[in-house]
Amino acid sequence: MKWRYPFVFITFVALFFSIIGRLFYWQVVKAEMLSELARFQYSGIVKILPRRGEIRTSDGFPIVANKVSYLLFVNPTEIKDKNKTISTISSLVDISTASISSELLPGRFWVPIKAGIDAKKKEEIEKINLPGVGFEEHYTRFYPEASIAAHLVGFVGKNESGQDKGYFGLEGYYDRLLRGKEGYGVELHDALGRPILSKRNEQTKGMEGSNIVLSIDRSIQFLVENKLKNAVKMYGALGGMVGIIQPQTGNIIAMASLPSFSQKNYQEYDEGLYKNPFITNTYELGSTLKPIVMASALDAGVVTPQTKCPICGGPITVSDYELHTWNDKYYKDTNMIEVIQHSDNTGMVFVASQLGVDRMISYLTRFGIGSLTDIDLQGETFSSFKPRNAWYAVDLATTGFGQGISITPIELLVAFSALANEGKILEPRVVTAFENSNGEIFKVPPKVKGTPITAKTAKIMTEILVNAVEKGEAQWTKLKGYRIAGKTGTASIPVAGHYDPTNTIVSFIGFAPVEKPKFVMLVILDKPTSSIYAAETAAPLFFDIAKDILSYYGIPPSE
Amino acid sequence: MKKPSHIIIFLLGLIITLSIVKAIVYNRLSTSGVYVGKIEEEIGFYKTQNAILSEKLLAFSSLTNISAKATELGFVKNSSLMVLKRLPLAVKQ
Repeated sequence: MKWRYPFVFITFVALFFSIIGRLFYWQVVKAEMLSELARFQYSGIVKILPRRGEIRTSDGFPIVANKVSYLLFVNPTEIKDKNKTISTISSLVDISTASISSELLPGRFWVPIKAGIDAKKKEEIEKINLPGVGFEEHYTRFYPEASIAAHLVGFVGKNESGQDKGYFGLEGYYDRLLRGKEGYGVELHDALGRPILSKRNEQTKGMEGSNIVLSIDRSIQFLVENKLKNAVKMYGALGGMVGIIQPQTGNIIAMASLPSFSQKNYQEYDEGLYKNPFITNTYELGSTLKPIVMASALDAGVVTPQTKCPICGGPITVSDYELHTWNDKYYKDTNMIEVIQHSDNTGMVFVASQLGVDRMISYLTRFGIGSLTDIDLQGETFSSFKPRNAWYAVDLATTGFGQGISITPIELLVAFSALANEGKILEPRVVTAFENSNGEIFKVPPKVKGTPITAKTAKIMTEILVNAVEKGEAQWTKLKGYRIAGKTGTASIPVAGHYDPTNTIVSFIGFAPVEKPKFVMLVILDKPTSSIYAAETAAPLFFDIAKDILSYYGIPPSE
Repeated sequence: MKKPSHIIIFLLGLIITLSIVKAIVYNRLSTSGVYVGKIEEEIGFYKTQNAILSEKLLAFSSLTNISAKATELGFVKNSSLMVLKRLPLAVKQ
């Protein structure tokens, strides 16, 4: 019987070690997993979503705000009468019964049905008191001014993880700033699921999105969009653009493009419409570039306003290409003032030849052409110049009158603002201030980009442009009583190696009042059908908008 | 030298008292979590109401709405800007 004692002893020792081993397994090896499981049982992680910042115009009005919306969800395990619930929801939220039914699979506890339900609709559904139907509160983008400045603002969509993300325009450029930072809170519960206050302080602090304040004047933006819409319709154009800048600060006052889209229902529009053509598309803008070339030549001292053009008596042949004026009218010994007044291509060929390739490239670069303007909007592009050794005589000649060189409208607008601002160019900007969640405001100061020409040259060029408005082909539509500097542009469209003979891109660029310019405006209409000339389409639209802006600013006529 | 028994008794009493106070405070705090939860719910409700009202206010005060309402009521835009070359007679007098 002696073996029994050791047997019992060894058994107990073995059991003791197996218990120790098991305890070691749970408390050391699996400790992390168990504590995680326990945490799930007695606590819940609450995600604190930041509210996206507002986008406000210069008057402080939010053109992009947030509104409360609800996500309707169903818990299939709590539904009492499945058919009744499905048919009621279907009739209220306009979703077919088949698609709701297919989602309500057994074993699912949370089935999202429809997002973006407003408070009124939510109340309506709640009154019916359907078991198993609930709502989740969200903030979605709200556009009080509808689709105003859609290209400028951009829109909010979803990223790969299903979270809000800004695309295009300001929403895209300032996405990180606008969206803020998510916070998390750990809430402990007692056995009955009630929150325990003493353990509620474990939080990672989130941050609300910052608000941004724009230089955009809401009233001017509104009137520009309406006028542009009417003009596109009236002149039978495919689309159009208007950009207005304050030359002394670089503030963009208004920017509109058509066709446009609705930020709220952006999915219903073609993706090609999301881009802002004012900063992303390059055009051969034609005669509206002439003042920049002429100002360069005046500044370089290669011509004076009184310099006579010795080659302007007829068409000019350059490297086997015959270059004509837009109306085939020629003015022998015309001076530089008249070259701009008549928008004389042969005169500009003379100016370009006097300037030469090196100085042409140098001045255009100083005006910011061929590079980004650094406007604070997503998607800006530029077309760089061809290499110096690839410039032929004909390239220099056509650049003189704005053909054969592609630029974005914003490049031209910014370059032209130098003429209205004593030769200085300021970096264009749309945002003038940021406001963080604590209400602190950070202003964005204006930034000088360069001084391509002297103040004296700018003044001379301004007078030449005033003369062009007073005596040029658009004189019939000018504003009486105001001195406005401006220039028309009727550009041919390059198509497969040649220029389209039937369609044009028409533009007008100018500033007012000349004495102390308040704004520089560029108007572009794409392929107008009522007339192919800028003087009959873009110019009247420019003066129509200018008249209302001058009246809005309370600027009386000077003459 | 005094006997340390007084100090030991005092410390023990202090420990017991503080433990009781801690238990009472924790008990109170844990139940006030429910009230705090209710208050937070109420704050959330008012925040939602505030957001809904702001949305209505912005929609009513937008230029788009004002312009549509003005057109409905028959307001028309002054279509021409008058430039007077000479002062009107009334001003001269």
